[in-house]
Amino acid sequence: MTRGRTFVGALALLAVALAVYPLFGTGYGVRSMLQLFMWVALASSWNLISGLTGYVSFGHVAFFGAGAYTTGILVTGAGWPWPAAALAGGVAGAALALLIGVPCLRLKGPYFAIAMLGLNEVLRALVSYFEGLTGGGNGLSFPTRHATVPIYYAMAFTAAVVIGMTYLVITSRFGLRLMTIREDEVAAEAMGIDTFRHKLYAFLLSAVGPGIVGGLAARDQGYIEPMSVFPLATTITMIVMVLFGGKGTVWGPVLGAVLLFVFQEVVWSHFIYLHQLLFGAIIVAVVLLMPRGVLGLLQIRYRLPRTI
Amino acid sequence: MNVVLTPAMLGQVVVSGLLAGALYSMVALGLALIFGVMRVINIAHGPMLMLGAYTTWILFDRFGMNPYLTLPLSAAVMFLLGALLQRTLVFRVVDAPELSSLLLTFGVSIALVNIAQLVFTSDLRSVEFLTGSIALGPIALSKSRLIACAFAAAITALAFLFLQKTRLGKAIRATSQSREVAMVCGIDVQRIHLISFGIACALAACGGTLVAVMVAIQPEMGQIWTFKSFLVIVLGGAGNYPGALLGGLLLGLIEQLSSLFLTTQLSEAVAYVLLVLALLVRPSGLLGGRQT
Repeated sequence: MTRGRTFVGALALLAVALAVYPLFGTGYGVRSMLQLFMWVALASSWNLISGLTGYVSFGHVAFFGAGAYTTGILVTGAGWPWPAAALAGGVAGAALALLIGVPCLRLKGPYFAIAMLGLNEVLRALVSYFEGLTGGGNGLSFPTRHATVPIYYAMAFTAAVVIGMTYLVITSRFGLRLMTIREDEVAAEAMGIDTFRHKLYAFLLSAVGPGIVGGLAARDQGYIEPMSVFPLATTITMIVMVLFGGKGTVWGPVLGAVLLFVFQEVVWSHFIYLHQLLFGAIIVAVVLLMPRGVLGLLQIRYRLPRTI
Repeated sequence: MNVVLTPAMLGQVVVSGLLAGALYSMVALGLALIFGVMRVINIAHGPMLMLGAYTTWILFDRFGMNPYLTLPLSAAVMFLLGALLQRTLVFRVVDAPELSSLLLTFGVSIALVNIAQLVFTSDLRSVEFLTGSIALGPIALSKSRLIACAFAAAITALAFLFLQKTRLGKAIRATSQSREVAMVCGIDVQRIHLISFGIACALAACGGTLVAVMVAIQPEMGQIWTFKSFLVIVLGGAGNYPGALLGGLLLGLIEQLSSLFLTTQLSEAVAYVLLVLALLVRPSGLLGGRQT
């Protein structure tokens, strides 16, 4: 019990430190933290569908891109303020997830994974095609405004909400049912769980975060174009972070995002050409050697609760 | 858009569709084989095709070989690489939950693409061997596509003959029908897995060789082939080997037909919509259940 209390205290302290950081931090530091929040939110969102239900989404960046373009169009075309537009980005992510989830989550097996693998390319093609709305290959430029600090807070808030949601889901009956689906879907059905509905809800939840984050990142960068908001590399990074940290837990994706982000900034920026190779090797190694990730090792070492 | 359909245009579309479809069928048969035998979807199937294409490019560029003669070499190299991959990594996840095998082959796939970028750079490479086309009445046919179709049809026919007639082929089909019963009958299932994976990668490599003569090649060309091959086996019915044939031809035809009405930019979206529709309407495939 005392351990739990220490942990909550440490979290509160960390939250306060992060809240006052922009007052002291350098521009570079604030921007790096903003990126870290983005990865935490993305990784935790991917974890909601893939870590909990075992349905692998190979195209989660599609929701990020959908959010970025929704925000871009609303801000530049309709003059919306960016916070509202980013929320609309989250709605767009969920709407897209509904469209894909209804046909693809009805079935067991790899259908969903491959459908997500193709989704990204299709969205990129569509965005390039509808030039009138999206600017096509020329992209969309936001009106200039320095909003890094407000976006820092918005991004931190989004990441916190996604983590909080993950905690609520994992400790609820809903989360338990999702994990039952992951372990044995037939048994879950036999126990009376409406597996399709549960998978779909988890998928919708997992699409909102990336939609909002996409919108915020677009506003922060000030310019979006099809190649920059739909990179396969973003999906790969999300997946690697969750697997490395520990899938299906609350803190695993956070831990993975922090560790890999620091590695990336400090070490791997020197090996940019080997990036994907390293990520591929990490995925293979984690799947074969430590399916519970770093957090799994810590859980065994320090006897921590298994799911959180 | 107002399109006037003349019989010549329709003929052109049907013929090009069948030419492309034969290639899809051959490559997808490999993916179907791995799925049928091991219940594993190999995300690295497309990158295998890409490596096959590069094998041909090297042999053509460095040693001046006729690209069509590199086909057996490229197939043999990828057979070995596939078998190695199965023996070292994939066999460990055959009985694991789907998540493991999908993620593992995904990791292999991005590593292979990165290795290709390091070794061959991202520059577009082409094998300029057969250019030009021949006219058949009003229908123009690119020579390289015609030959690719002939090779693909022959190789697919050989593969089916192998599956139907030889002891090894029968053992492969038996394993995909039921692994336990196959084991009881004295089939070395591990060996069958190894050989099937090798054959599947060799089929992808043949696709790579033939594609290399048709279009420019680059390290990221593979992923779309994983997706299309999967679409083909969904259309045909997962684990259904004759279904892969039908699915391939159908995909080729639909893609070409849609190119009459839509710009090529949207042709990938057409394949995607097709996948979603197929999953909604007939998830077990056009030919229904398993038929090996």
